[in-house]
Amino acid sequence: MQQGREHTLKAFDQDLDRLRALISQMGGLAEHAIGEAMRCLMQRDLDGADRIVQEDVKLDALEVETERQAVQLIALRAPMAGDLRDVVAALKISGVVERIGDYAKNIAKRVPLLENVGSIEPLSLLPEMARISTEMVHNVLDAFVERDADAAVRVCERDHAVDDFYDSIFRTLLTHMMENPQTIGQSAHLLFVAKNLERVGDHATNIAEMVYYAATGDHMADRIKNPVRGNQR
Amino acid sequence: MNETAPAIRIETVGQDTVARDVKIDIRDLNFYYGKAPALKSVSFGVPSNAVTSIIGPSGCGKSTLLRTINRIFELYPEQRATGEIIIDGANVLDRGYSLSGLRRLVGMVFQKPTPFASSIRSNVGFALNYYDRLSKSELNDRIEDALRQAALWDEVKDKLSHSALSLSGGQQQRLCIARAIAVRPEVLLLDEATSALDPISTAKIEELIDELRERFTIVVVTHNMQQAARISQSTAFFHLGELIEFGNTSDVFTNPREQRTRDYITGRYG
Repeated sequence: MQQGREHTLKAFDQDLDRLRALISQMGGLAEHAIGEAMRCLMQRDLDGADRIVQEDVKLDALEVETERQAVQLIALRAPMAGDLRDVVAALKISGVVERIGDYAKNIAKRVPLLENVGSIEPLSLLPEMARISTEMVHNVLDAFVERDADAAVRVCERDHAVDDFYDSIFRTLLTHMMENPQTIGQSAHLLFVAKNLERVGDHATNIAEMVYYAATGDHMADRIKNPVRGNQR
Repeated sequence: MNETAPAIRIETVGQDTVARDVKIDIRDLNFYYGKAPALKSVSFGVPSNAVTSIIGPSGCGKSTLLRTINRIFELYPEQRATGEIIIDGANVLDRGYSLSGLRRLVGMVFQKPTPFASSIRSNVGFALNYYDRLSKSELNDRIEDALRQAALWDEVKDKLSHSALSLSGGQQQRLCIARAIAVRPEVLLLDEATSALDPISTAKIEELIDELRERFTIVVVTHNMQQAARISQSTAFFHLGELIEFGNTSDVFTNPREQRTRDYITGRYG
Protein backbone atom coordinates (compact mmCIF):
# COMPACT_ATOMS: atom_id res chain seq x y z
CA MET A 1 0.00 0.00 0.00
CA GLN A 2 1.05 3.48 -0.76
CA GLN A 3 2.53 5.17 2.28
CA GLY A 4 2.96 8.92 2.13
CA ARG A 5 6.48 10.15 2.23
CA GLU A 6 8.10 11.37 5.40
CA HIS A 7 7.34 14.66 7.06
CA THR A 8 9.92 17.39 6.77
CA LEU A 9 9.83 17.46 10.57
CA LYS A 10 10.90 13.94 11.51
CA ALA A 11 9.62 14.14 15.08
CA PHE A 12 6.12 14.36 13.58
CA ASP A 13 6.59 10.94 11.95
CA GLN A 14 7.90 9.55 15.22
CA ASP A 15 4.81 10.79 17.06
CA LEU A 16 2.49 9.22 14.51
CA ASP A 17 4.48 5.96 14.59
CA ARG A 18 4.26 5.89 18.36
CA LEU A 19 0.50 6.29 18.19
CA ARG A 20 0.21 3.45 15.68
CA ALA A 21 2.49 1.29 17.84
CA LEU A 22 0.23 1.90 20.85
CA ILE A 23 -2.82 0.75 18.88
CA SER A 24 -0.94 -2.34 17.71
CA GLN A 25 0.07 -3.10 21.27
CA MET A 26 -3.52 -2.71 22.48
CA GLY A 27 -4.74 -4.94 19.66
CA GLY A 28 -2.18 -7.59 20.56
CA LEU A 29 -3.31 -7.57 24.19
CA ALA A 30 -7.01 -7.72 23.33
CA GLU A 31 -6.47 -10.52 20.84
CA HIS A 32 -4.44 -12.47 23.38
CA ALA A 33 -7.05 -11.87 26.08
CA ILE A 34 -9.89 -13.29 23.95
CA GLY A 35 -7.79 -16.29 22.94
CA GLU A 36 -6.73 -16.94 26.54
CA ALA A 37 -10.27 -16.53 27.84
CA MET A 38 -11.45 -19.16 25.38
CA ARG A 39 -8.59 -21.49 26.31
CA CYS A 40 -9.42 -21.10 30.00
CA LEU A 41 -13.07 -21.77 29.23
CA MET A 42 -12.30 -24.93 27.31
CA GLN A 43 -9.67 -26.20 29.79
CA ARG A 44 -11.53 -25.00 32.92
CA ASP A 45 -8.43 -22.99 33.92
CA LEU A 46 -9.72 -20.84 36.78
CA ASP A 47 -6.34 -19.30 37.64
CA GLY A 48 -5.78 -18.32 34.02
CA ALA A 49 -9.23 -16.77 33.89
CA ASP A 50 -8.47 -14.76 37.01
CA ARG A 51 -5.24 -13.48 35.43
CA ILE A 52 -7.17 -12.27 32.37
CA VAL A 53 -9.50 -10.27 34.60
CA GLN A 54 -6.51 -8.77 36.44
CA GLU A 55 -4.62 -7.91 33.26
CA ASP A 56 -7.45 -5.91 31.73
CA VAL A 57 -6.11 -2.84 33.55
CA LYS A 58 -3.20 -2.82 31.08
CA LEU A 59 -5.60 -2.16 28.22
CA ASP A 60 -7.31 0.58 30.20
CA ALA A 61 -3.94 2.21 30.86
CA LEU A 62 -2.95 1.99 27.21
CA GLU A 63 -6.23 3.57 26.16
CA VAL A 64 -5.54 6.50 28.48
CA GLU A 65 -2.02 6.80 27.07
CA THR A 66 -3.31 6.74 23.50
CA GLU A 67 -5.74 9.52 24.29
CA ARG A 68 -3.00 11.55 25.96
CA GLN A 69 -0.63 11.17 23.02
CA ALA A 70 -3.33 11.87 20.43
CA VAL A 71 -4.44 15.04 22.19
CA GLN A 72 -0.83 16.15 22.55
CA LEU A 73 -0.15 15.45 18.88
CA ILE A 74 -3.19 17.46 17.79
CA ALA A 75 -2.17 20.34 20.06
CA LEU A 76 1.51 20.45 19.13
CA ARG A 77 1.61 19.28 15.51
CA ALA A 78 -1.75 20.45 14.15
CA PRO A 79 -2.08 17.43 11.85
CA MET A 80 -3.91 17.88 8.56
CA ALA A 81 -5.69 15.71 6.00
CA GLY A 82 -4.61 12.04 6.21
CA ASP A 83 -2.54 12.69 9.33
CA LEU A 84 -5.54 14.20 11.10
CA ARG A 85 -7.79 11.35 10.02
CA ASP A 86 -5.18 8.89 11.33
CA VAL A 87 -5.02 10.55 14.73
CA VAL A 88 -8.80 10.74 15.07
CA ALA A 89 -9.05 7.09 14.01
CA ALA A 90 -6.42 6.10 16.59
CA LEU A 91 -8.43 7.87 19.30
CA LYS A 92 -11.63 6.08 18.34
CA ILE A 93 -10.00 2.69 17.74
CA SER A 94 -8.32 2.69 21.15
CA GLY A 95 -11.75 3.00 22.78
CA VAL A 96 -13.12 0.11 20.73
CA VAL A 97 -10.14 -2.14 21.43
CA GLU A 98 -10.50 -1.42 25.13
CA ARG A 99 -14.10 -2.59 24.81
CA ILE A 100 -12.96 -5.79 23.12
CA GLY A 101 -10.72 -6.34 26.15
CA ASP A 102 -13.81 -5.98 28.33
CA TYR A 103 -15.49 -8.78 26.39
CA ALA A 104 -12.48 -11.01 27.07
CA LYS A 105 -12.75 -10.13 30.75
CA ASN A 106 -16.47 -10.87 30.66
CA ILE A 107 -15.84 -14.31 29.15
CA ALA A 108 -13.10 -14.99 31.70
CA LYS A 109 -15.47 -14.12 34.56
CA ARG A 110 -17.88 -16.81 33.37
CA VAL A 111 -15.21 -19.56 33.46
CA PRO A 112 -15.80 -20.48 37.15
CA LEU A 113 -19.56 -20.60 36.50
CA LEU A 114 -19.07 -22.99 33.61
CA GLU A 115 -16.56 -25.27 35.34
CA ASN A 116 -18.92 -28.24 35.42
CA VAL A 117 -20.54 -27.79 32.06
CA GLY A 118 -20.86 -31.08 30.21
CA SER A 119 -19.90 -31.56 26.61
CA ILE A 120 -22.61 -29.83 24.67
CA GLU A 121 -22.38 -29.09 20.99
CA PRO A 122 -22.07 -25.27 21.10
CA LEU A 123 -18.99 -25.57 23.25
CA SER A 124 -17.14 -27.08 20.32
CA LEU A 125 -18.21 -24.25 18.02
CA LEU A 126 -17.09 -21.42 20.30
CA PRO A 127 -13.29 -21.73 19.79
CA GLU A 128 -13.64 -21.49 16.02
CA MET A 129 -15.95 -18.51 16.37
CA ALA A 130 -13.40 -16.90 18.69
CA ARG A 131 -10.61 -17.64 16.22
CA ILE A 132 -12.40 -15.87 13.37
CA SER A 133 -13.38 -12.83 15.43
CA THR A 134 -9.91 -12.35 16.93
CA GLU A 135 -8.39 -12.80 13.49
CA MET A 136 -10.65 -9.99 12.29
CA VAL A 137 -9.33 -7.79 15.10
CA HIS A 138 -5.76 -8.74 14.22
CA ASN A 139 -6.23 -8.05 10.51
CA VAL A 140 -8.08 -4.78 10.95
CA LEU A 141 -5.38 -3.37 13.21
CA ASP A 142 -2.73 -4.45 10.70
CA ALA A 143 -4.81 -2.61 8.10
CA PHE A 144 -4.75 0.50 10.31
CA VAL A 145 -0.98 0.42 10.73
CA GLU A 146 -0.52 -0.18 6.99
CA ARG A 147 -3.28 2.29 6.02
CA ASP A 148 -4.70 -0.50 3.88
CA ALA A 149 -8.33 0.26 2.91
CA ASP A 150 -8.74 -2.93 0.89
CA ALA A 151 -7.72 -5.08 3.85
CA ALA A 152 -10.30 -3.19 5.95
CA VAL A 153 -13.01 -4.04 3.41
CA ARG A 154 -12.00 -7.72 3.54
CA VAL A 155 -12.40 -7.69 7.33
CA CYS A 156 -15.95 -6.39 7.01
CA GLU A 157 -16.79 -9.12 4.56
CA ARG A 158 -15.97 -11.79 7.15
CA ASP A 159 -18.34 -10.50 9.81
CA HIS A 160 -21.25 -12.50 8.43
CA ALA A 161 -19.33 -15.72 9.22
CA VAL A 162 -19.24 -14.70 12.89
CA ASP A 163 -22.93 -13.80 12.76
CA ASP A 164 -23.73 -17.21 11.23
CA PHE A 165 -21.83 -18.91 14.05
CA TYR A 166 -23.80 -16.93 16.59
CA ASP A 167 -27.16 -17.79 14.99
CA SER A 168 -26.21 -21.45 14.91
CA ILE A 169 -25.04 -21.48 18.54
CA PHE A 170 -28.13 -19.56 19.62
CA ARG A 171 -30.45 -22.14 18.03
CA THR A 172 -28.51 -25.12 19.39
CA LEU A 173 -28.39 -23.67 22.90
CA LEU A 174 -32.12 -22.95 22.84
CA THR A 175 -32.83 -26.53 21.87
CA HIS A 176 -30.40 -27.72 24.52
CA MET A 177 -32.11 -25.63 27.20
CA MET A 178 -35.52 -26.97 26.27
CA GLU A 179 -34.32 -30.55 26.39
CA ASN A 180 -32.26 -30.11 29.59
CA PRO A 181 -33.95 -27.50 31.76
CA GLN A 182 -31.50 -28.18 34.61
CA THR A 183 -28.67 -26.66 32.51
CA ILE A 184 -30.47 -23.44 31.63
CA GLY A 185 -28.14 -21.39 33.85
CA GLN A 186 -24.98 -22.71 32.24
CA SER A 187 -26.46 -22.53 28.76
CA ALA A 188 -27.38 -18.90 29.33
CA HIS A 189 -23.77 -18.18 30.28
CA LEU A 190 -22.57 -19.89 27.11
CA LEU A 191 -25.04 -17.80 25.13
CA PHE A 192 -23.49 -14.68 26.62
CA VAL A 193 -20.02 -15.93 25.68
CA ALA A 194 -21.21 -16.40 22.11
CA LYS A 195 -22.82 -12.97 22.15
CA ASN A 196 -19.56 -11.43 23.37
CA LEU A 197 -17.65 -13.05 20.51
CA GLU A 198 -20.27 -11.84 18.09
CA ARG A 199 -19.78 -8.30 19.45
CA VAL A 200 -16.01 -8.63 18.97
CA GLY A 201 -16.68 -9.27 15.29
CA ASP A 202 -18.98 -6.24 15.13
CA HIS A 203 -16.34 -4.06 16.75
CA ALA A 204 -13.73 -5.28 14.28
CA THR A 205 -16.13 -4.21 11.53
CA ASN A 206 -16.53 -0.79 13.14
CA ILE A 207 -12.76 -0.40 13.31
CA ALA A 208 -12.57 -1.41 9.65
CA GLU A 209 -14.87 1.48 8.78
CA MET A 210 -12.64 3.88 10.75
CA VAL A 211 -9.55 2.52 9.01
CA TYR A 212 -11.20 2.91 5.63
CA TYR A 213 -12.06 6.55 6.32
CA ALA A 214 -8.60 7.29 7.72
CA ALA A 215 -6.91 5.75 4.69
CA THR A 216 -9.13 7.15 1.94
CA GLY A 217 -11.03 10.15 3.31
CA ASP A 218 -14.24 8.50 2.11
CA HIS A 219 -16.79 6.62 4.17
CA MET A 220 -17.12 2.94 3.45
CA ALA A 221 -20.90 3.27 3.21
CA ASP A 222 -20.41 5.61 0.23
CA ARG A 223 -18.24 3.04 -1.49
CA ILE A 224 -21.21 1.41 -3.12
CA LYS A 225 -22.40 4.72 -4.52
CA ASN A 226 -19.01 6.00 -5.64
CA PRO A 227 -16.09 4.04 -7.00
CA VAL A 228 -13.07 3.89 -4.69
CA ARG A 229 -10.76 6.84 -5.09
CA GLY A 230 -7.76 4.82 -4.03
CA ASN A 231 -5.62 5.26 -0.98
CA GLN A 232 -4.70 8.79 -0.20
CA ARG A 233 -2.89 10.67 2.42
CA MET B 1 -45.83 -2.29 13.18
CA ASN B 2 -44.96 -1.75 9.56
CA GLU B 3 -44.38 1.96 9.83
CA THR B 4 -41.28 3.06 8.06
CA ALA B 5 -38.70 4.67 10.28
CA PRO B 6 -38.61 8.46 10.02
CA ALA B 7 -35.79 9.64 7.81
CA ILE B 8 -32.92 11.12 9.76
CA ARG B 9 -31.50 14.30 8.37
CA ILE B 10 -27.99 15.14 9.36
CA GLU B 11 -26.93 18.69 8.71
CA THR B 12 -23.43 18.68 7.32
CA VAL B 13 -21.47 21.37 9.07
CA GLY B 14 -18.35 22.90 7.60
CA GLN B 15 -19.01 21.83 4.06
CA ASP B 16 -19.94 24.62 1.81
CA THR B 17 -22.71 23.11 -0.24
CA VAL B 18 -24.19 26.45 -1.23
CA ALA B 19 -23.07 27.33 -4.72
CA ARG B 20 -21.67 30.85 -4.51
CA ASP B 21 -21.61 33.37 -7.30
CA VAL B 22 -18.22 33.95 -8.84
CA LYS B 23 -16.92 37.47 -8.20
CA ILE B 24 -13.53 37.24 -9.87
CA ASP B 25 -13.37 34.89 -12.83
CA ILE B 26 -9.73 34.15 -13.63
CA ARG B 27 -9.28 32.57 -17.04
CA ASP B 28 -6.08 31.16 -18.48
CA LEU B 29 -3.96 33.68 -16.62
CA ASN B 30 -0.22 33.70 -17.37
CA PHE B 31 2.26 36.04 -15.78
CA TYR B 32 5.86 36.75 -16.66
CA TYR B 33 8.70 38.46 -14.84
CA GLY B 34 10.70 39.26 -17.98
CA LYS B 35 10.78 35.86 -19.67
CA ALA B 36 10.35 33.82 -16.51
CA PRO B 37 6.79 32.56 -16.13
CA ALA B 38 5.38 33.02 -12.62
CA LEU B 39 1.79 31.94 -13.26
CA LYS B 40 0.97 29.22 -15.76
CA SER B 41 -2.48 29.06 -17.28
CA VAL B 42 -4.34 29.67 -14.03
CA SER B 43 -8.13 29.42 -14.19
CA PHE B 44 -10.58 29.49 -11.30
CA GLY B 45 -13.48 31.49 -9.96
CA VAL B 46 -13.14 33.44 -6.70
CA PRO B 47 -16.51 33.15 -4.95
CA SER B 48 -18.42 36.27 -4.03
CA ASN B 49 -18.80 37.40 -0.40
CA ALA B 50 -16.48 34.74 0.92
CA VAL B 51 -12.86 34.45 1.98
CA THR B 52 -10.63 32.61 -0.46
CA SER B 53 -7.16 31.74 0.74
CA ILE B 54 -4.21 31.22 -1.55
CA ILE B 55 -1.61 28.86 -0.09
CA GLY B 56 1.59 27.35 -1.39
CA PRO B 57 5.34 27.34 -0.85
CA SER B 58 7.46 30.42 -1.50
CA GLY B 59 7.74 31.26 -5.17
CA CYS B 60 4.52 29.50 -6.08
CA GLY B 61 2.88 32.63 -7.44
CA LYS B 62 0.56 33.54 -4.55
CA SER B 63 1.55 37.18 -4.26
CA THR B 64 1.93 37.48 -8.02
CA LEU B 65 -1.72 36.52 -8.37
CA LEU B 66 -2.80 39.31 -6.00
CA ARG B 67 -0.52 41.77 -7.78
CA THR B 68 -2.19 40.80 -11.03
CA ILE B 69 -5.74 41.20 -9.76
CA ASN B 70 -5.19 44.87 -8.93
CA ARG B 71 -2.57 45.44 -11.66
CA ILE B 72 0.11 46.75 -9.33
CA PHE B 73 2.59 44.90 -11.52
CA GLU B 74 2.14 47.50 -14.27
CA LEU B 75 4.47 49.78 -12.34
CA TYR B 76 7.26 47.53 -13.62
CA PRO B 77 7.70 47.57 -17.40
CA GLU B 78 9.25 44.11 -17.71
CA GLN B 79 6.29 42.39 -16.07
CA ARG B 80 3.25 41.34 -18.05
CA ALA B 81 0.12 39.26 -17.76
CA THR B 82 -1.94 37.44 -20.38
CA GLY B 83 -5.38 35.93 -20.03
CA GLU B 84 -8.43 37.39 -18.38
CA ILE B 85 -9.49 38.51 -14.92
CA ILE B 86 -13.17 39.21 -15.15
CA ILE B 87 -14.84 41.18 -12.38
CA ASP B 88 -18.50 42.07 -12.85
CA GLY B 89 -18.37 41.14 -16.52
CA ALA B 90 -15.35 43.23 -17.50
CA ASN B 91 -11.78 42.07 -18.00
CA VAL B 92 -9.69 44.22 -15.67
CA LEU B 93 -6.54 43.35 -17.63
CA ASP B 94 -7.90 45.16 -20.71
CA ARG B 95 -5.82 48.18 -21.59
CA GLY B 96 -8.98 50.22 -21.69
CA TYR B 97 -10.03 49.29 -18.16
CA SER B 98 -9.68 52.32 -15.91
CA LEU B 99 -6.91 51.84 -13.39
CA SER B 100 -8.45 54.25 -10.91
CA GLY B 101 -11.76 52.44 -11.31
CA LEU B 102 -9.98 49.17 -10.57
CA ARG B 103 -8.27 50.58 -7.49
CA ARG B 104 -11.65 51.71 -6.23
CA LEU B 105 -13.12 48.25 -6.87
CA VAL B 106 -10.19 46.33 -5.41
CA GLY B 107 -8.50 47.29 -2.13
CA MET B 108 -5.23 45.82 -0.97
CA VAL B 109 -3.43 45.39 2.35
CA PHE B 110 0.19 44.33 2.56
CA GLN B 111 2.34 42.29 4.92
CA LYS B 112 3.83 45.25 6.72
CA PRO B 113 1.45 47.98 7.85
CA THR B 114 1.87 50.95 5.51
CA PRO B 115 0.26 53.94 7.24
CA PHE B 116 1.00 57.37 5.81
CA ALA B 117 3.02 59.61 8.12
CA SER B 118 -0.02 61.73 8.85
CA SER B 119 -2.98 61.73 11.18
CA ILE B 120 -5.25 58.74 11.64
CA ARG B 121 -8.08 60.75 10.16
CA SER B 122 -6.24 61.73 7.01
CA ASN B 123 -4.98 58.17 6.49
CA VAL B 124 -8.54 56.97 6.13
CA GLY B 125 -9.85 60.08 4.41
CA PHE B 126 -7.05 60.37 1.86
CA ALA B 127 -8.56 58.24 -0.88
CA LEU B 128 -12.07 59.46 -0.08
CA ASN B 129 -10.98 62.99 -0.93
CA TYR B 130 -9.55 61.66 -4.17
CA TYR B 131 -12.62 59.73 -5.31
CA ASP B 132 -15.58 61.56 -3.87
CA ARG B 133 -16.55 65.14 -3.33
CA LEU B 134 -17.82 64.92 0.20
CA SER B 135 -18.88 67.56 2.67
CA LYS B 136 -16.87 67.67 5.88
CA SER B 137 -19.59 65.91 7.85
CA GLU B 138 -20.03 63.28 5.16
CA LEU B 139 -16.29 62.73 5.15
CA ASN B 140 -16.22 62.33 8.93
CA ASP B 141 -19.10 59.87 8.74
CA ARG B 142 -17.31 57.80 6.13
CA ILE B 143 -14.09 57.84 8.18
CA GLU B 144 -15.94 56.71 11.29
CA ASP B 145 -17.79 54.08 9.30
CA ALA B 146 -14.55 52.65 7.90
CA LEU B 147 -12.83 52.67 11.30
CA ARG B 148 -15.83 50.93 12.87
CA GLN B 149 -15.84 48.27 10.16
CA ALA B 150 -12.14 47.75 10.76
CA ALA B 151 -12.86 47.30 14.50
CA LEU B 152 -10.56 50.21 15.34
CA TRP B 153 -13.00 53.02 16.12
CA ASP B 154 -13.21 52.49 19.87
CA GLU B 155 -9.44 52.54 20.17
CA VAL B 156 -8.80 55.70 18.12
CA LYS B 157 -11.97 57.81 18.31
CA ASP B 158 -10.42 60.21 20.82
CA LYS B 159 -7.17 60.68 18.94
CA LEU B 160 -8.06 60.95 15.28
CA SER B 161 -5.63 63.81 14.83
CA HIS B 162 -2.73 61.83 16.29
CA SER B 163 -0.10 60.42 13.97
CA ALA B 164 -0.93 57.01 12.56
CA LEU B 165 2.62 56.03 13.36
CA SER B 166 1.83 56.24 17.09
CA LEU B 167 -0.43 53.20 16.78
CA SER B 168 0.71 49.65 17.53
CA GLY B 169 1.49 47.30 14.64
CA GLY B 170 -1.87 45.54 14.93
CA GLN B 171 -3.70 48.87 15.07
CA GLN B 172 -1.73 50.15 12.09
CA GLN B 173 -2.73 47.07 10.10
CA ARG B 174 -6.39 47.57 11.00
CA LEU B 175 -5.97 51.21 9.99
CA CYS B 176 -4.70 50.03 6.60
CA ILE B 177 -7.77 47.81 6.32
CA ALA B 178 -9.96 50.80 7.25
CA ARG B 179 -8.19 52.86 4.59
CA ALA B 180 -8.74 50.12 2.03
CA ILE B 181 -12.44 49.71 2.78
CA ALA B 182 -13.17 53.45 3.17
CA VAL B 183 -13.64 53.84 -0.59
CA ARG B 184 -16.15 50.97 -0.44
CA PRO B 185 -14.42 48.48 -2.69
CA GLU B 186 -16.01 45.15 -3.56
CA VAL B 187 -12.86 43.08 -3.41
CA LEU B 188 -10.26 43.10 -0.66
CA LEU B 189 -6.83 41.56 -1.21
CA LEU B 190 -4.73 40.75 1.85
CA ASP B 191 -1.12 39.74 1.27
CA GLU B 192 0.24 38.11 4.44
CA ALA B 193 -1.64 40.78 6.35
CA THR B 194 -1.05 39.25 9.78
CA SER B 195 2.39 37.67 9.44
CA ALA B 196 4.11 40.61 11.18
CA LEU B 197 1.60 40.72 14.04
CA ASP B 198 1.35 39.11 17.47
CA PRO B 199 -1.28 36.41 18.08
CA ILE B 200 -3.82 38.76 19.69
CA SER B 201 -3.66 41.31 16.88
CA THR B 202 -3.79 38.41 14.43
CA ALA B 203 -6.94 37.06 16.09
CA LYS B 204 -8.56 40.51 15.90
CA ILE B 205 -7.80 40.79 12.21
CA GLU B 206 -9.05 37.26 11.57
CA GLU B 207 -12.29 38.10 13.35
CA LEU B 208 -12.48 41.28 11.29
CA ILE B 209 -11.96 39.36 8.04
CA ASP B 210 -14.74 36.99 9.03
CA GLU B 211 -17.10 39.93 9.60
CA LEU B 212 -16.07 41.74 6.44
CA ARG B 213 -16.82 38.82 4.16
CA GLU B 214 -20.50 39.63 4.30
CA ARG B 215 -19.81 42.82 2.40
CA PHE B 216 -16.64 42.06 0.45
CA THR B 217 -15.07 39.36 -1.61
CA ILE B 218 -11.81 38.68 0.17
CA VAL B 219 -8.69 37.00 -1.15
CA VAL B 220 -6.00 36.20 1.42
CA VAL B 221 -2.46 35.08 0.74
CA THR B 222 -0.96 33.35 3.73
CA HIS B 223 1.89 31.06 4.70
CA ASN B 224 0.00 30.16 7.83
CA MET B 225 -2.09 27.16 6.89
CA GLN B 226 -3.92 27.13 10.19
CA GLN B 227 -5.01 30.66 9.42
CA ALA B 228 -6.17 29.67 5.97
CA ALA B 229 -8.13 26.83 7.55
CA ARG B 230 -9.61 29.15 10.18
CA ILE B 231 -10.77 32.06 8.10
CA SER B 232 -11.44 30.97 4.53
CA GLN B 233 -14.29 29.14 2.87
CA SER B 234 -12.35 28.28 -0.28
CA THR B 235 -8.70 27.42 -0.66
CA ALA B 236 -6.47 27.44 -3.72
CA PHE B 237 -3.14 25.62 -3.56
CA PHE B 238 -0.42 26.86 -5.90
CA HIS B 239 2.87 25.21 -6.71
CA LEU B 240 5.51 26.58 -9.09
CA GLY B 241 3.05 28.94 -10.73
CA GLU B 242 0.38 26.31 -11.29
CA LEU B 243 -2.98 26.04 -9.60
CA ILE B 244 -2.86 22.50 -8.23
CA GLU B 245 -6.12 22.36 -6.35
CA PHE B 246 -9.05 24.65 -5.64
CA GLY B 247 -11.98 23.69 -3.45
CA ASN B 248 -13.87 24.13 -0.20
CA THR B 249 -11.43 24.80 2.62
CA SER B 250 -12.96 22.00 4.69
CA ASP B 251 -12.30 19.51 1.88
CA VAL B 252 -8.81 20.74 1.07
CA PHE B 253 -7.71 20.41 4.69
CA THR B 254 -9.36 17.08 5.51
CA ASN B 255 -9.30 15.24 2.21
CA PRO B 256 -7.31 16.94 -0.55
CA ARG B 257 -7.54 15.40 -3.99
CA GLU B 258 -4.01 16.00 -5.21
CA GLN B 259 -0.85 14.37 -3.89
CA ARG B 260 1.09 17.67 -3.97
CA THR B 261 -1.59 19.38 -1.89
CA ARG B 262 -1.54 16.50 0.59
CA ASP B 263 2.23 16.66 0.89
CA TYR B 264 2.19 20.41 1.41
CA ILE B 265 -0.56 20.69 3.99
CA THR B 266 0.62 17.68 5.98
CA GLY B 267 4.18 19.02 6.11
CA ARG B 268 5.80 16.59 3.69
CA TYR B 269 6.78 19.16 1.11
CA GLY B 270 10.36 19.16 -0.18
